[in-house]
Amino acid sequence: MSEALLSVRGVNRTFGAGPAAVHALRDVSFDVEPGTMVALVGRSGSGKTTLLNVIGGLDRPDSGTVVVDGLDLGGLDEDGLSRLRRERVSYIFQTFGLIPVLSAAENVGVPLRLARAAPAEREQRVALLLDLVGLADHAQQRPGELSGGQQQRVAIARALAASPRLLIADEPTGQLDAETGLAVMALLRGVVESEGVTAVVATHDPVMMALADRVVHIADGHVTP
Amino acid sequence: MIALHWPSIRGRARADLGPLLLVALVVAAVVLLAGATPPLIRSTSDDATREAVRRAADDAAVRVEAEWPDDYGPTGGRLRTPELAIDVANVGTRAEGELDESLRSALQPPVTSVSSISLAITDGSVQRRLQLEYLSTATGEPAVTWVAGRAPGASTDDEFREIPLNGPPWPVQVGLSETDAAALGVKPGDRIPVQDEQRNPYDVRVTGVFRPADVNDPVWGPAPWVLQPAANRDGFGSTRFGALLTAESVPDARLAFRTDQLRRVVRFDADPAGLTWEKAQALAASVARLKGGSAVSAERDPSLKWSTQLDNVLSDLRDQIASTTAQASVLLIAVLAVALLVIALAADLLTHRRTGALTTARHRGASLPGLATELAVESLAVTVPAALLGLALAFVLAGGAALTWVVPFVVVVVCALPAFGTLAAARATRDRRAPANRSARHWIRRTEVIRRFAVDAAVVALAAASLVALRQRGVGSTVDLPAAAPALGALAVTLLVARLLPLGTGLALRLALRSRRPLALFGAARAAAASSRALPALTLTAALALGSFALTLYATADRGLAEGAWQTTGADARLDLSSGSGSGSADDVAARAAAAPGVRHVVAAQVTENAQFIADNTAVPARLIVVDTAAFRELLADTPLPGLPALPTATDGGPVPALVRTGDGSLSPGVRFSLPVVTNQAIALTAAGTAPALGSGDDVVVIDAGAAGPEYEPNTIWATGPGAADALRKAAPGDRVTVRADLLHDRRTAPLTEGLSRLCLLTAGILLALGLLGFALAAAASAPQRWETLARLRTLGLRPRDTRRVAVGELLPPVVVAALCAPPLGALLGWLTLGPLALRLLTAQATDPVTVTPWWTITVVTVVALAVALPAIVAVEASSRRRRRLSEVLRVGG
Ligand SMILES: Nc1ncnc2c1ncn2[C@@H]1O[C@H](COP(=O)(O)OP(=O)(O)O)[C@@H](O)[C@H]1O
Ligand SMILES: [Mg+2]
Repeated sequence: MSEALLSVRGVNRTFGAGPAAVHALRDVSFDVEPGTMVALVGRSGSGKTTLLNVIGGLDRPDSGTVVVDGLDLGGLDEDGLSRLRRERVSYIFQTFGLIPVLSAAENVGVPLRLARAAPAEREQRVALLLDLVGLADHAQQRPGELSGGQQQRVAIARALAASPRLLIADEPTGQLDAETGLAVMALLRGVVESEGVTAVVATHDPVMMALADRVVHIADGHVTP
Repeated sequence: MIALHWPSIRGRARADLGPLLLVALVVAAVVLLAGATPPLIRSTSDDATREAVRRAADDAAVRVEAEWPDDYGPTGGRLRTPELAIDVANVGTRAEGELDESLRSALQPPVTSVSSISLAITDGSVQRRLQLEYLSTATGEPAVTWVAGRAPGASTDDEFREIPLNGPPWPVQVGLSETDAAALGVKPGDRIPVQDEQRNPYDVRVTGVFRPADVNDPVWGPAPWVLQPAANRDGFGSTRFGALLTAESVPDARLAFRTDQLRRVVRFDADPAGLTWEKAQALAASVARLKGGSAVSAERDPSLKWSTQLDNVLSDLRDQIASTTAQASVLLIAVLAVALLVIALAADLLTHRRTGALTTARHRGASLPGLATELAVESLAVTVPAALLGLALAFVLAGGAALTWVVPFVVVVVCALPAFGTLAAARATRDRRAPANRSARHWIRRTEVIRRFAVDAAVVALAAASLVALRQRGVGSTVDLPAAAPALGALAVTLLVARLLPLGTGLALRLALRSRRPLALFGAARAAAASSRALPALTLTAALALGSFALTLYATADRGLAEGAWQTTGADARLDLSSGSGSGSADDVAARAAAAPGVRHVVAAQVTENAQFIADNTAVPARLIVVDTAAFRELLADTPLPGLPALPTATDGGPVPALVRTGDGSLSPGVRFSLPVVTNQAIALTAAGTAPALGSGDDVVVIDAGAAGPEYEPNTIWATGPGAADALRKAAPGDRVTVRADLLHDRRTAPLTEGLSRLCLLTAGILLALGLLGFALAAAASAPQRWETLARLRTLGLRPRDTRRVAVGELLPPVVVAALCAPPLGALLGWLTLGPLALRLLTAQATDPVTVTPWWTITVVTVVALAVALPAIVAVEASSRRRRRLSEVLRVGG
């Protein structure tokens, strides 16, 4: 257990107060081993996004601890969390979140710029990653000129750019048609292996579960590993 | 019937109370300004009318001259008319009867006078003249005390005496004021030796010396020389004295002069008290009718001849008021244009905030006309009370409110808010998937480009047309294309600049990509994404440019006033010596003034307004300055006035060299001309150089005192230095001293000038506020998206404190454009449009003032305002989001 890359213990998160309070997470505990891909599965409103936000340090739990790569997130201030995101955790969103005026290659290079990588090194890594996600031919195109699946692949390449330990993806295929979604999921599966990262992927699509090493079910804030 | 859903109207209004209140505030403020300005201009014009008429005094008086009836006696001689005074009084009554209501109420009770021609006094002195005067009002002759001798009486006991046509001069008894008697050195019982131009002698006998009961009695108005000798009334270097006739002696004066040598005149002084600009215009019309001649009406007395300069005074004033009104219109249109842009930004903000709710309403089945009606109800509820409030404030502050500008403005605002919202709702619910077909996409983009280009071209064409119209025919009535020239010009230029903005941000982005600073890249990327919206940059830049224009107008008028005061005064202070004041000779006065502390230069000169020169057999009126040119040159060098060129010394017997300047070029260097003097001689002159513009008029001739001969008798003393005014006042206590600083103050506080200055400053302030408000509204509209993007960047590891810098970067382009473009654009607008606005009419200059751009002020104000506003807006945005977690921002945006 001490080997776990991600360790969640007794996490509660409630929105609002009084009778209108929403218990989005109730006493959630689970571990994720390094190098595995975990599918977080549950219906809409079950608490997936809330849990991923807590894991990634975008939100703080009301109680409980989250330890990522040996770092207790509760002990980090905003700058510490920024460093965590820059170096160890990266995100993939349903809406891609690319910078529209930058080309695919420039978008992928953003985390490397934040990490102050040397330009030559950066360009090399960007090319490698675009190749990895199969977009080497589209490096100079802007997000608006790419299809949804291509955009999400750029987002995956960007998420991998700074060589994070943990990849968090919140319904990465939510805006894609089934076929494209499956391809993106397969790509994720592939990079988890080739890059040796750990991934937690939220989805409510049962088809995606088959690709995961492990499935964590969430319902009404309760996690059943 | 469209059903309104009141709960959603209320709900929306409550959710967006802030922006709606801002709209209401802008509407109220603009309506107040636009509503109050016309009545303020009107009341200011009324003040200006009264002041102009008061100042014009003599010129504004209406004179009626009545011909004499024949006075031939039964034996072919002239018959004495003992009741002549009553006859004369009747003329006054007749003249009054011809005045219509508007004139009668604007004029004071008449003074009737009988005046002789001006006679030369032949006591050996130079150019002393005497004029005989009989004066009376409805209450009779002026009240005087006879301090020596007695009142003039009849020259004969035989009241109805008939005298032969070619007998000896008929004696006339007159009285003299103490001042005139002392200056002439005569006492009761003396005769004053006089003759006319044909050297015919007249028998004028002084019977008494009087002291007026009240020197300010209007009865003296037509003939002030009866009380005090008057200089230069009968030509260059002359002094006119007046001799008073009485009802008893005026019949003798009638006999002593030929019929054409004696005039009876009824004079009505203007009464400015109850005058308004509107009445003044009616007045000008009826004055013109009276002057126009007797043929108009059968009732009109053909023996009465009407004359006055009142219509000219009023026509000068009309030009001034027109110029002020034009400038006020220009400023108002600028404010209205920018206010509409700000309203558009507010509508845009509301639309941004509401797109979601409106889309939901549409999905729930609300029709577009229904939504439009709901939004229109809201718009009316916000705009109309605000407009009424503005009008009410205008009533309180300006005593009235004009709807000329207010109604169109309010209508546009009322329509704009629902139009933006409905369009957004329609767009959001339209099936707007981009066509898959490549050429169809291309086609859509192309039509978009064409549409934009059409809008730009239309704005530029309109601006160019208004500018051409302005420069060709000036600003006419209030609602006028030329008056919109500066506003349209600012819009056209900033629109083009805003269209070019993406090029600039694209360049910045390319540079940022090459830099190693990730913040610069994020800022540039956000800026590039935001720069496709032209409205924020357009509003901010246009507002600041028009504000700079308003300040340029202010600075130009202000500098023009200062220069005008220099021109009118000629120095820091000017003394006008009158011959009877007992100050001593001009040279003594000048020497005393020069010795006083704080005086740098003193120069005495003989200045004759309207000296009649003859060039090429035509009369050329000009201001003649006879002065020690070397000293005058030194004095002028001590002022901002133009310098005096060197003047060659006069050759013996040759023409006197002169510096000349005429507006129509009738005197120019090289021309020979002459100055006739009263003693039937003329001084030959040659134009040796160009004189600087001196005095308010355009035409001036300067000759050196050394060349002027015996005619040189200084009547004007100029002095410079901080103590100049005091020194001149002390050196000649009885004489009129014009102090430049006082004159400048008077002119600055004159109603029209002061009103315009205030309007300029107020407009500049309002435009600055509107520009910043528009910028803040635009920032608020883009804030949710901006902070969502920043939150996304933070998931990539951007530190919280760096987000502000990126936000600043995003908002920077409009600010940079405004800071770089607004001051020069304001200056350009001033340079292009101030000429046709005829500022010289307000600054009392001969020519339009040179456009003065207050570069320092506008640059510092612009830069400081922007440098404060931008970080402040970002700080407010950031602090309002400080408590929100990233997860929240990403979930709901903003
Ligand atoms: N910021 C918030 N404020 C209030 N309720 C929230 C907030 N975020 C999430 N919730 C509620 O928490 C529950 C879980 O939401 P979420 O984690 O988004 O579910 P999922 O991602 O599985 O669809 C939902 O009922 C949602 O309404
Ligand atoms: Mg979710």
